[in-house]
Parts: sequence; C-alpha cells; structure tokens
Amino acid sequence: MGAIFALAIKDLRQLVRDKSSAFFTFVFPLLVAVFFGVIFGGGGGSSKINVVVVNEDGGEAAASFAEDIAGDSSLDVTAAPSRSEGENLVRLGKASACIVIPKGFGAAAGNMFGGGTMKVEGVIDPSRKAEGGLLTGKLNELAFRQMSKTFSDVTKMDKALENAKQSIVASPDVNDSDRMLFSLMFDAIGKVNRTTRQKAQNAAATDGATKEENKSALAGWQPVRVSFQELPAQDNKPRSSFQISFTQGIIWGLMGCVTAFGVSLASERTRGTLMRLTVSPMSRGQILAGKALACFVACLLVQAMLVVFGVLPPFNVRIGQPLLMAVACVASAIGFTGIMMLMAGMSRSEGGGAGMGRALILVLAMIGGGTVPMFFMPPFMQTVSKVSPFSWATTAMEGAIWRGYTIEQMLLPVGVLLGFGAAGFVIGVVSLRWSSDR
Amino acid sequence: MLRLTQLRKSFGALTAVDSLSLEVRRGEVFGLLGPNGAGKSTTIGMAVGLIAPDSGTVELEGVGAPTDAAVRKHLGVAPQSLALYDDLSGEENLKFFGRVYGLASTVLRDRTSAVLEMVGLSPRRKDRVGGYSGGMKRRLNLAVALMHDPPMLLLDEPTAGVDPQSRNNILDLVRQLAGQGRTIIYTTHYMEEASRLCDRVGIIDRGRLLAMGTVSELVASHGGKSVVAVTREGQGEERIETDDPVREIAHVFAAGTVQGVRIDRPDLESVFLSLTGRRLRD
Repeated sequence: MGAIFALAIKDLRQLVRDKSSAFFTFVFPLLVAVFFGVIFGGGGGSSKINVVVVNEDGGEAAASFAEDIAGDSSLDVTAAPSRSEGENLVRLGKASACIVIPKGFGAAAGNMFGGGTMKVEGVIDPSRKAEGGLLTGKLNELAFRQMSKTFSDVTKMDKALENAKQSIVASPDVNDSDRMLFSLMFDAIGKVNRTTRQKAQNAAATDGATKEENKSALAGWQPVRVSFQELPAQDNKPRSSFQISFTQGIIWGLMGCVTAFGVSLASERTRGTLMRLTVSPMSRGQILAGKALACFVACLLVQAMLVVFGVLPPFNVRIGQPLLMAVACVASAIGFTGIMMLMAGMSRSEGGGAGMGRALILVLAMIGGGTVPMFFMPPFMQTVSKVSPFSWATTAMEGAIWRGYTIEQMLLPVGVLLGFGAAGFVIGVVSLRWSSDR
Repeated sequence: MLRLTQLRKSFGALTAVDSLSLEVRRGEVFGLLGPNGAGKSTTIGMAVGLIAPDSGTVELEGVGAPTDAAVRKHLGVAPQSLALYDDLSGEENLKFFGRVYGLASTVLRDRTSAVLEMVGLSPRRKDRVGGYSGGMKRRLNLAVALMHDPPMLLLDEPTAGVDPQSRNNILDLVRQLAGQGRTIIYTTHYMEEASRLCDRVGIIDRGRLLAMGTVSELVASHGGKSVVAVTREGQGEERIETDDPVREIAHVFAAGTVQGVRIDRPDLESVFLSLTGRRLRD
C-alpha cells in the first residue's frame, strides 16, 4: 500500500509542478465557470441587491415606502403584482428577495404613537442570507425616512397624534390621570408641530446630528419589523447561471485530470521509469492503482475547489442537496479515474495514442455538457450525450445542485459513473498486461 | 547466485537471445560484453523479470524467479536509458524509489544521504534532475539502483554517453560496490571496462553466448598470439606473430637496423574478433 501511496503522491507532485497541466486542471475550469456564468447572465458584475416588491396594502404610506425602496441606489427593484409571483421570481433566481408590504402597513404607519408597528414580510433565497441582513438594515433606514416624512407633514403628524390620543382614550389599561397627562402632552406636541413647522423643516436638515444625540434612547428600536422567511427549494430550474456554469467548470476540471493522468503512464514508458517500476516489487495492478489514486484525489480536489469557490460570494451557488452533491462528486471521481485508466492503458506513447485519447475526451466533454448546458441541447443531442460519462456526471451534479433529485433518481447517474470506473479499470489493467513485454 | 538456463527470446522474426545459459557467482563482477544489438539488454531484461523468456528459466539462488515481486527486492537495476523524473529533485527521485521498495522513513532518510554521498551528488540533492549534466544523471540512475541496498546489481551500460571524468567515477563506484561483496552483472561494449572491472566475462553476439571465463582465460584460449610490429628504414610495418615476443624482438634487432618496435598483446577485442570475425565497435 505504501508503494501505491508513494506513486500517487509523486504523480500529484508532478501534476502541480507541470505548469501547463496544473493550469488546465485547476485554473482553467474556474475560468470556464466564471466566464460562462457571467455570459449566461450570472449578474456577478452588479453590486446591487436584486429585490421584488409586492405592495399588498395599496395605501398612501405603503406606496410612499415602495417608492423609497425603488429609489434606493443600492437596490435593483422589480415590482410584482402578487406575493406568489414575487416568490416565484426568487425561486427562479431572478431576485435575491421578495419584499411584501402587507395590508395594515398604512394603518400602522399612521398610528406610530399609539403602538402601531409597520410590518414588512417577504422571502429570501437561502443562498443570499448575507444580503438578507443588509436588506433588513436598508428597510429600517427607509422606514426612518418614512417617519421623517410624517413628522415634517403637519397634517400627517396631526393625524398621527389624534390616532395616538384616541388609542389612549380607548385603552382600558390607562388610568384617568395618566390619560389626562397623555392628552395634554399630545395637544402640546400638536401645538408645537403646527407653530414650529418651519423650524421642523430646518431641523430636518440637521436630522443626522439629532439622531446622534438620541442614539442611546433609540438603540434597539426599529421603526419597521422585517420578517424574512427562507424560500423552500423548488428545484426543477436553475436559480442562477452559476449553478450551471460551475457544473461545466467541474466537467472541464475532470477532463483536465483525465488528460493529465491519462498520459502519465505513456510518459513513464517513454522516459523509462515504467521499466524501473516494473522491475520493482510493485505489480502492474499496483502501478495502475497508484495512478488511479492520484487521479481520484485530483478529481476530488478540483471538484471541491470549484464547489467552494461556487458557494462563496459573488457566485453564491446554492447546492440544493449537499450530501447528494458529495455522492455525485465521489462517483464522478471514480468514473473519471476509470476513464483515465482506460486511456492510460491504451496509450502507447505521449504523442499518437495519448493525443487521440485527449481528442476523444474533449469531444465527450463537449457533448456531455462541458460547453453547452445539456438542457439547451436539442432532444436528439441529449440522447447522443448519454454515451459520454461527462453527461452522467453533469446529470448527477445538477440533480444535487438544482434539479432536486431524490436518492432514487440519483442512483442511475451514480451507477453509470461507477460502471465507467469499473470498466475502465479492468480494460486498463488488461491493456497494460497486453502491452507489457513480460 | 543467478542462474540463466537455456534462455530464448524472439521479437517477431528476430531472435534476440538464443539458448543462453550462464551462472553468475556470489560476490563476483560478471561482464556481459558484446556490440550494440548483441542481446545484452534483453538478457538483463529477462534476468530481472521485465521480459518473459519464450523458453528457459531464470533463478536467483535460494530465492526464486524474478517474476515473483518478493524476489525482485534482491535486485537493483540501472537501465541503459536514464530512468529518472526530471521534474523531481535528485533526493525526491531517490526517496520515491526507496518508498516503492518499501523502505521505512528513517531508513529512507539514511539511505538517501548515504547513496547521494556515494555518487557525489549531495551538494545537488535539492536540484531538479532536469538541470543535471549527463554524467550526473548517470550517477543518479545508478544511485536509484542502490537505494534498497540489494545484494545483486544489474548495470546495463552504466557509462553510456558520459564524459571521461564521470566514467571514471562510475567505474570507481562499481569497484567500491564489488568490494562490499555485492554480485554485479555489468554489460558493456567497452572491452577496457570489462578488462578493468570484471572477474569473469561472457562474450555475446547475435543473442548467443560465445565464450565465458576470466579475461586471461579468454585471451589465452581465443586471443591468439602476440604480435611484434617492426618498422625499418624505407620499409612498411612488419607484423610477426609469436608466443614469445621478447625473444622475437631480440631476433629482430640482431637482424639489422630497426626504426621502431611495438608489441600488440591479445586482448578482449582480439578475442571477439577471433570468435565473430568482426570488431566490437563494428
């Protein structure tokens, strides 16, 4: 076993030291993922938060709030006529969140002094949780602006004070003396409001300073209560182009591994080191197992690297079923290790045979979803692509990322990939045996 | 130590080795001398289990046939073509092959240092092999064969294509290894190397072992007589075959004025010429 590990470590070290192989195995797939993601409309270049606004209240305050949201420079806002349509846009990945201004928003805005709390609801893409926090802060800021408008509008302010007075009057929990005191206070505020309207407008200009002075008193208080729910996955469509392009990147990474290790046996033969390995205590099976282990590890590494890059901002690829994704990655690594062994066993030299192997792998990768996403392909091409192991790897990974596959649905692509792995290993060993002079 | 019995190997119509039998004794340096294409490398290939003979057997005394992986641990092979990884350092090459032979990490470290010292590559141990000179690569190629400290070494033309200094280093090293009691099979087409190093020599041509013995035995039995080459004023060179060149020279001087005299004693080249009708380098 030590010899197999030694051979695998040596091969991985050589892969990293060979700049060309390392580039096509680790860097190029990432570039492919980003490139295709952006040109398919990943929106990676925009720093705005993409939101849908649904105004269920329909009143003046709600319309004003919706207008403030739409006018905010950090938000890219689309209006939707209904909550379900707004949620669907999030589900399709066309928006990070759906903000719903529910019925009663206007009433709450007009009764701020009487305990009314403006509420905003909505759903958010779970992969955009970080943006959800920013969005909550942004909505609070806009609600402050809403309050400011109320305070600077004498009529609205009077109405709010009147509502507050009525609430106090109607409340059974307030005793008569308190009720009188509150009533006097609201009257006095109303008087100040009306007589110092001009001053209030001037004060609005120095609003920031006033807020700073009252910071401790306002700390922890939010003018609007925002509640976001994570949207449950509906996985029959990709939510962002990066969900597709990172799968494509993985395909290119697997191709890099297969071509890099597929020629390594031919390379060992050419430089004479295969002869040296063959006269060592290693058997042919162990030599191939060492090559296989190196390829398997490289396949896993390149997939893990792309998945990690994918889930991080700005790509925010949501892996619908992480466990199934892990299964898909391991099955793909096994499948493509088998393909590598087939190629290695049949390549006589680094030139001819290996060159043909590379060309074949390239074609299989292209028809297997490496360049054009499989669901963009015409039906007959999708059928043809079944001959390609890359197609099965794509299916398994998409199943885990956005197709919402069940374990039963995952069995077929995973089984086919394992079959490719087993067949490749057997054919590779037999080919090496035939090619040996021993 | 190593017994090859009636080995035969053909590649298509070409018979590379034909009914070759020989026995290499424990602790000796055995030279396999023959021109390029004589069948030396094929013989070595069969001896180490790399090439399966069409017929015949190979046996490492008391251990078994080298087709068995465990038996191959007793053999160290330095192939004629350099078998190294250019993108690894000298030290990494040695450690890798040491691990392939199952050396534990402490032994691996000690053996790597010892072997690098032995072949004079310690100062360049961290450098990539791609940057080594031809002679350095040859020495490292030999060093790899020594990593697992095998009792038997098969060195296939270990001085091929190296400069005279590296060649002398390698020959000194082989002598040093022989002094440690290792059994060595050394193939070469340089008769002077065979003469300098080998306790016994087998002469091979067209896949057949033509003669085997110590250098003096071969010369005595196949080398023919010594030749006294005499040059006289106004005449060409006269070559006189004789069993007693000293007495012949005395006769030559007694017969008249002589411009120059040279004695050509028989050597392995003459042995080869006598056995095959061709020169080694033809």
